Amino acid sequence: MSQQQTAGRGASDASRPAGGPNGRRPSREPFADRLAARLGSNSLTGLFFKLVFLGVVNGLALYAVSTLLPLRAWTPLLVVVVATLALDAVYLSRRTLPLKFLIPGTIALLVFQVYPVLYTAYIGFTNYGTGNVLTQDQAVDRILAGATRVPEGATRFRSTPLVDDADGTLALLLTDPDGDVFLGTADGLESIDEGDVAGEGRDIVVADRFRPLTLGEAQQREDEVLDFAVPISDERAAEFDEGVNAEAISVQTFTTAAVAVTALELDEDTGNIVDTVEGVVYEPVDGVYTAEDGATLRPGFRTVVGFDNYEQVLTSPAIRGPFFRVFVWTFAFAMLSMLTTFVMGLALAMALNDPRIKGRRLTRSLLIIPYALPSFMTALIWRGLLNQSFGPVNRMFGLDVPWLSSQAYAGALPKFSILLVNLWLGFGYMFLINTGALQAIPSDLTEAAKVDGASGWQAFRNVTLPLLLVAVGPLLIASFAFNFNNFNVVFLLTGGGPPIGGTPTPAGHTDILISYSYRLAFQGGRGQDFGLAAAVSSIIFLLVAVFSYIGFKRTAVLEEIN
Amino acid sequence: MAADPVPMPVPTTEHAAVRDPAIRATRTPSPKGVRWFKELGWRYLVALLAVAFALMPAYFVVLASVSPTATLQGSQLLPREVTTANYTRLFEVTPFWTWLGNSLKIAGGAAIANMMLSAMAAYAFSRLRFVGRRVGLLTILLVQMFPQLLANVAIFLFLVNVRGYFPAIGFGTQLGLFLVYLGGALGTNTWLMKGFFDTVPTDLDESARVDGATHGQIFVRIILPLSAPILVVAGLLSFIFLFNEFILASILLGQEDANQTLATGLYRFIDQNYGQQWGPFAAGALIGSLPTLLLFLFGQRWIVSGLTSGSVKG
Repeated sequence: MSQQQTAGRGASDASRPAGGPNGRRPSREPFADRLAARLGSNSLTGLFFKLVFLGVVNGLALYAVSTLLPLRAWTPLLVVVVATLALDAVYLSRRTLPLKFLIPGTIALLVFQVYPVLYTAYIGFTNYGTGNVLTQDQAVDRILAGATRVPEGATRFRSTPLVDDADGTLALLLTDPDGDVFLGTADGLESIDEGDVAGEGRDIVVADRFRPLTLGEAQQREDEVLDFAVPISDERAAEFDEGVNAEAISVQTFTTAAVAVTALELDEDTGNIVDTVEGVVYEPVDGVYTAEDGATLRPGFRTVVGFDNYEQVLTSPAIRGPFFRVFVWTFAFAMLSMLTTFVMGLALAMALNDPRIKGRRLTRSLLIIPYALPSFMTALIWRGLLNQSFGPVNRMFGLDVPWLSSQAYAGALPKFSILLVNLWLGFGYMFLINTGALQAIPSDLTEAAKVDGASGWQAFRNVTLPLLLVAVGPLLIASFAFNFNNFNVVFLLTGGGPPIGGTPTPAGHTDILISYSYRLAFQGGRGQDFGLAAAVSSIIFLLVAVFSYIGFKRTAVLEEIN
Repeated sequence: MAADPVPMPVPTTEHAAVRDPAIRATRTPSPKGVRWFKELGWRYLVALLAVAFALMPAYFVVLASVSPTATLQGSQLLPREVTTANYTRLFEVTPFWTWLGNSLKIAGGAAIANMMLSAMAAYAFSRLRFVGRRVGLLTILLVQMFPQLLANVAIFLFLVNVRGYFPAIGFGTQLGLFLVYLGGALGTNTWLMKGFFDTVPTDLDESARVDGATHGQIFVRIILPLSAPILVVAGLLSFIFLFNEFILASILLGQEDANQTLATGLYRFIDQNYGQQWGPFAAGALIGSLPTLLLFLFGQRWIVSGLTSGSVKG
């Protein structure tokens, strides 16, 4: 393994306490020579593995750097370099023993868990989403590149769309007001002589290459033809008496074309985009260049919008209402799932906890099956079983119950169904742990209670249950926490539906926060809203943090670390 | 990556109970008739109902997978004839084995890698004393409270960015998903293993050290072999969790059919199509359930023993 020391001296180093006040291992310096003698081949293998490992790491890093450097991607470059140097330093130094064991997992943790959590918090403050995907620079480039327009008094041409039969590329045969003829291709404009145009009418061949589009072809490729533009150089622009802004000769109709100028310019000082033809100023407002009259330039760009997403969640009526429902249902779902599985599991455990019953081992194995099956599979299976028109449950009992899609009473029936399925998934597990916990409670305790005159219920309520809860309490909290984010059951069973009406966001009656956030990001009806989704995720983070804090305070887990 | 936070069952002590003379003394000969039902019979009835409830969906799935009609409409209580047509059709219309292979590859690979990373970290926390040890352990506990799936948006955008630089590990690749799964390596498993390593007597290390072993050798030659049960448990839990993982797989693997895991592949196959595809889906569900079901049934003893001796949670 790569963490082995290079030589005998490494061993003596390793045997030293690695720092910190709690070092409990005594130094074994006197043994160093003996150790070195006996290490020989072993540490050579260690060295070999270490060098191979570091070789691969550094090789990959070099490749990464050679990819990133030309792209001027400084941030990822920095990450790669720092991570690689850290690995090299840790494994080549003799003073970093604990880190040799910790650093691989730590790097994975930082990159794929800590960073995403922080990034989520950041995205929650942005407008990242459909329409605002690009960075500001990219958006400006797009806007400026796409924005040409034909000013009044521009030079106009008679134009014939041409096609090259060899590869289907388009071109234009252009005649300017003076009667000069040009061939315009996607590469630029070239003057042509009489001789370059052979034939008459439909049989014209231009520059031995192009022929006019037939009517049918023109219809077929209408969009392409109308979008076609011939870039023109500054010299050409001067020829046509156009300003230096002249950008291209763009097709106006099938038979005309005109010189178009770039109308939009980025004002480097103010950061605004200015329309030089119309004289309108577009200022960046929340990721979109917007004029005073409200006109906008697309695409927008992603930018920090502060608490806008949170404000939307809390104040926008169309979002607040559904969000609040999802919020409440998330707690109800987690709590009820925990309670129903616990109660059924306990009841079963008590019923079957009788030594006279035969086949308890078999029963236990059978009851755990729902828990042992992959949950994505069982959720999909139940979705079929509860299908309104085809589902075996309805067909067997001759029913027509919309188990998963009823809108009535705020989706009460789908909510019931989802709890039922979750009960089915979890009761076997609760049965097992309750059986274990029950049998760990000494029977003399309940018997003593009965001798003292307690009824069966009183003995259960005051003796058995408290003892039981001590044992299974932490597992109940874990169950609640798990169901709080139980995405699979909700998403695969109902997809979060049936939808809550009157909201622009995809919220459903059975959605819990995590599935709601997922659908905002990846299934949005009005596009993907990463910003809002990340804000919802951040809200879940906060809730989880509060639970964890309470949980930590109530358990002794912090004191147990030694 | 932690398996679902609910740990596996603690072992029942029914045998101990039976062996307990006090209990055996109360064990009267089975009563008869009404009294039998009042004392014992209803318990059997309850057990029967519970087992029926647990197995009913499985029954329908087995039934649907061998019924001749591929649609849900063919469901009846007993099959009129048994056919393998659904299985044939499943393999024809979906890359089922590819999906299963992808799942086994990604979940299996990540589970093993997570197990190793976790074990290394656990060794440091169990055997070494260093500045930041306590903070490190607490940080792991804290980070574990925020499961990766909550950061799904950020991970998605992150991998989309990565694709721009390194297409091989970016969005839409299985390698990318695998790497993301590694992010959960240091988690509950680390605590689980640290607890177990703590129970391996340090005398063993000491004498190995006297004999000239390095920490690397002690870890590989002594601690790992002695901790095989907990390694198996951590690996199994990790594998079952990752095999089940849907949310990250669905957003990171892209649209290509052959790139999916079993979870995302079957979901895309059956979503909106229950009426037509129920038979083939049932066939796929049966086969796809086998890996975790078998692991669970045969590994149960390991899981239970590992968990109880590992002293997991506070």
